[in-house]
Amino acid sequence: MFKLNLKIALRNLWKNKGYTFINIAGLSIGMACCILIFIFINYQLSYDQQFANKDRIYRVVSYWKYVDGEEFQSGVPRPLAPAMRNDFGMLEEVAAIQRSGGIFKVKDAAGLVRLKTAEEAYYIEPQFFKIFDYPWLQGDPQKALAEPNTVALSREMATKFFGNWQTAVGKTLEFKNKDVLKVTGVFEDVPENSSNPIKIAIAYAGYEHSKMKSWRSVSSGSQCYILLTKGSDIADLEGPKKAFMNKYYTDKGIGKEDHFFQPLAEVHQDARYSNFAHKTTGKGELAGLLVIGVFLLITACINFINLATAQAVSRSKEIGVRKVMGSRRKQLMAQFLTETLTITFFALLVACILTEAALPGMANLFKEKISFGLFSQPVIPVFMIGMVLFVGFVAGFYPAMIMSGFDPILAIKNKVSIGNGGGGVLRKVLVVVQFAITVILITGTLVILKQMKYMREKPLGFNPSAIAMVDVPSDSLSILKYNLLKSRVLKESGVRSVSLCSTGPSSGDSNFGNFTYNHSAKDADFEASIKTSDENYLQTFGLKLIAGKTFTKNDNLKEIIVNETLLKKLSVSSPEVAIGKIIQMGGDPVGASIVGVVKDFNNTNLREPIAPILIEKSTGPSTTTLAVKMDTRDIPGVMKNIEAIWNSVYPEHVYDSTFMQDDINKYYESERVMGTLFKVFAGVIIFIAFIGLFGLISFVATQRTKEMAIRKVLGATTLELVNMLNSSFMIMVLLANLVAWPVAYIFIDHWLSRYAYRIELSVWPFITAMSISMGITLMTVSFRSFKAAKTNAVDALKYE
Amino acid sequence: MIQLQNIEKYYANKGVKSYILRHVSTTIQQGEFVSIMGPSGAGKSTLLNILGMLEEPTYGTYEFMGENVVSLNERKRIELYRNHIGFVFQAYHLIDEMTVAENIEAPLLYKKVGSAERKSRVAEMLDRFNMVAKRDLFPNQLSGGQQQLVGIARALAAQPLIILADEPTGNLQSAQALQIMELFRKLNEEENITIIQVTHSEINAGYGNRILHLLDGVISEDLQVVV
Ligand SMILES: Nc1ncnc2c1ncn2[C@@H]1O[C@H](COP(=O)(O)OP(=O)(O)O)[C@@H](O)[C@H]1O
Ligand SMILES: [Mg+2]
Repeated sequence: MFKLNLKIALRNLWKNKGYTFINIAGLSIGMACCILIFIFINYQLSYDQQFANKDRIYRVVSYWKYVDGEEFQSGVPRPLAPAMRNDFGMLEEVAAIQRSGGIFKVKDAAGLVRLKTAEEAYYIEPQFFKIFDYPWLQGDPQKALAEPNTVALSREMATKFFGNWQTAVGKTLEFKNKDVLKVTGVFEDVPENSSNPIKIAIAYAGYEHSKMKSWRSVSSGSQCYILLTKGSDIADLEGPKKAFMNKYYTDKGIGKEDHFFQPLAEVHQDARYSNFAHKTTGKGELAGLLVIGVFLLITACINFINLATAQAVSRSKEIGVRKVMGSRRKQLMAQFLTETLTITFFALLVACILTEAALPGMANLFKEKISFGLFSQPVIPVFMIGMVLFVGFVAGFYPAMIMSGFDPILAIKNKVSIGNGGGGVLRKVLVVVQFAITVILITGTLVILKQMKYMREKPLGFNPSAIAMVDVPSDSLSILKYNLLKSRVLKESGVRSVSLCSTGPSSGDSNFGNFTYNHSAKDADFEASIKTSDENYLQTFGLKLIAGKTFTKNDNLKEIIVNETLLKKLSVSSPEVAIGKIIQMGGDPVGASIVGVVKDFNNTNLREPIAPILIEKSTGPSTTTLAVKMDTRDIPGVMKNIEAIWNSVYPEHVYDSTFMQDDINKYYESERVMGTLFKVFAGVIIFIAFIGLFGLISFVATQRTKEMAIRKVLGATTLELVNMLNSSFMIMVLLANLVAWPVAYIFIDHWLSRYAYRIELSVWPFITAMSISMGITLMTVSFRSFKAAKTNAVDALKYE
Repeated sequence: MIQLQNIEKYYANKGVKSYILRHVSTTIQQGEFVSIMGPSGAGKSTLLNILGMLEEPTYGTYEFMGENVVSLNERKRIELYRNHIGFVFQAYHLIDEMTVAENIEAPLLYKKVGSAERKSRVAEMLDRFNMVAKRDLFPNQLSGGQQQLVGIARALAAQPLIILADEPTGNLQSAQALQIMELFRKLNEEENITIIQVTHSEINAGYGNRILHLLDGVISEDLQVVV
């Protein structure tokens, strides 16, 4: 029976080639997008899931509640790990991991440097490898990192350093020009979907601050993982945690501190905390993609249902005849479902080809180095089969019900019309839903693109163009050579200005601290972002002073520049009043006097409001960067010369630089990705919806040929007939716009609310989306209805 | 009112011309009631379609109210449909989705008749055809004879000068057929509406005042009916 059904199905599909094509085109594109989205979401959810203990692993993170806000921190105080190991009973293991990095040198037998490279490295406690079962190729993880000055390497690093990883163990490396590390183990490379991309693991015992006692100094580089004992529940740690907090946090800070236990699976997904891989994909983004995927599938299914029910009318005679011949309803349903599944299956084949073609583009869009593959994981084919069955039954069931339910007498007499053929109202509702989805996506796309343009073009209060941010070492020896470096770079033609500083005006990582203003008895009730720089900072970045002047050259005078926001928060009446007042930080008894007030500038991405800022005059250890402002004429040439100068000043170190503008663009990576996705998917949904519309108008036009002929001989013009056919579609699309607007408004307003600096939501995106949807509808529909209105009346009216 | 001269119509099939109408020439005056008769396939419908400008002749001239209408542009043809010509079909060809009243109203909408006037004309038609009670029924709720009455009412609503009817009673029982013929005669005599109908029935033809016999595309006889 199935074989016969299949044969008939294939014949029927062939007979209605046009509609089969429309169905397969719409479905396959929709399915391809869904597969892509599934592969991506599946990949994002696969982060850190390769470990045997994954459900018992948690990261300890920090949290502070302030009067006017809160802070989330992925790091913990350095004494926390040993304290937890001591105080918590339900923990099987506790392990600290500390980010570090610097110059590694490999010397040959004669003591000559064979390889010099800057690498990221981690100080890791041996317990870490009990929590995470990394595959070790050589050495014993528990013994390998027990002693200070031992190191374990990934296969890739061992090969890079020594040519052949098998020979690495026993050899030595020089780190930061001082420590000599002995290689004691080699482990398998960590996969890309990992939040701890460890390539070099140095024994934690050798970490210089490993015995640090301060609970008030927290850096995102100091993280801590715990492994829960089998059978215990993370909620049971709340009680011991309270006691723990009271025991160790004895002095009062300006915020109320807390620690949370973050499940391993969320390390990659919670954008509030960073991680060592610097990659998080927020749940919001994944949910957004999921919604788009569902939208796509719905749109494709709606096409299918609409075309199938419309087509049902033209097949009513066949159905009537079959029924008279004794076919039962169930058998008819089986036949129609076979047809649907056949179409869906063909669509899947096409979808696989489309997916394969689009995968490199997607990997590129998300800047993931791995290659996504259709069959890289068994769950993907399973998903595809599930999707075929889902689409086949969801899209096929309703039309099958309608068609198999026709009254045979009416059906044989061809009395079933598109109106009473069933699904007339449903079809309209579905078209409205489909277009509402389309309009929501168009509106969303327009708003995202507008917000991105706004962020690109908004004046930031400083000029980030043609500024190179060159890393400088900040050990005491290197600091001595700062002036030499500065003056040599400045002499370079094409360099306009240089400044040594801790960070540029806008920076993703900032250092917050508390302070007192004008000898006040207690600290200000907010923290300020603290930057340090020399006297050329304002000039180099084009920052504007609204009062006072920039730093003097005299290193002995302690000076500070503040921004407008800081004064506003302190309720200082005018910037002039602040000049000469003293700011004291970190219990400094003397303090620095305010010499200037700088006009507000955006100090980080535009999601955040401007922070209160203190710029200290200093070229000490907090300096990390030499900012070089250049003429735009020959930037690559100038950069090459700067690198040469740098290398001659710091032969022991490794040069690295970025451009300020690139650093700023990086803030909006997720907007860039979302913008592209919305553009692509909105395009796809528009395509699917309109191809469906075209199919539908074709059926309607065919169905109404006779009526149009009658109207023609009653005196209707072609234009009137075209309008008649079009109007019902135009009304549906108009209705879809009305339905879509409030939904789109809620989505968009929610999305925009993440930005401190955002565009005002005007009616234009809505109007534009309406014009686009109505315009394309009019074009699609008119194309077909014009043809229908032009057909010869005589042919249609011939007596049947 | 109608003047046909040397009308020819053929279809070319594989290089062979198959003639449907040959040398058809005739004149029909305002107020005549003409029946076209002849065996099946003689070309009756084709002739009527040409008269109704639904088809174009291959050769010959056709003047309608003194104007040559062969290859008339669409706008002018539609003007004629709106103002002067009413069609009645064997298969009624009512619009299934519209009620009786709406069907009758349809041509008036195209003629851009004002809504008050439309209402009164539709009411008048319904009244005249005794269909007031059925005004809100749909075509498939009516018998064949009733449907054809609606078809005629629709053709009359626009107050045409001429009605073209292709076997208007072909699907009806004889009692209903006679009712339709009585109606045609009344319209012809009292309102001076020109009627051209195709029919197979001598009895029906007897209601008119002239019979054109068509045989293999040629007018073989042109008779006046004597009462
Ligand atoms: N489009 C066409 N192509 C070829 N032959 C046609 C076409 N339309 C009608 N005919 C032929 O023209 C002849 C006359 O048709 P018609 O006018 O409908 O006859 P009647 O109405 O007298 O029965 C018939 O033999 C028919 O087969
Ligand atoms: Mg005929």
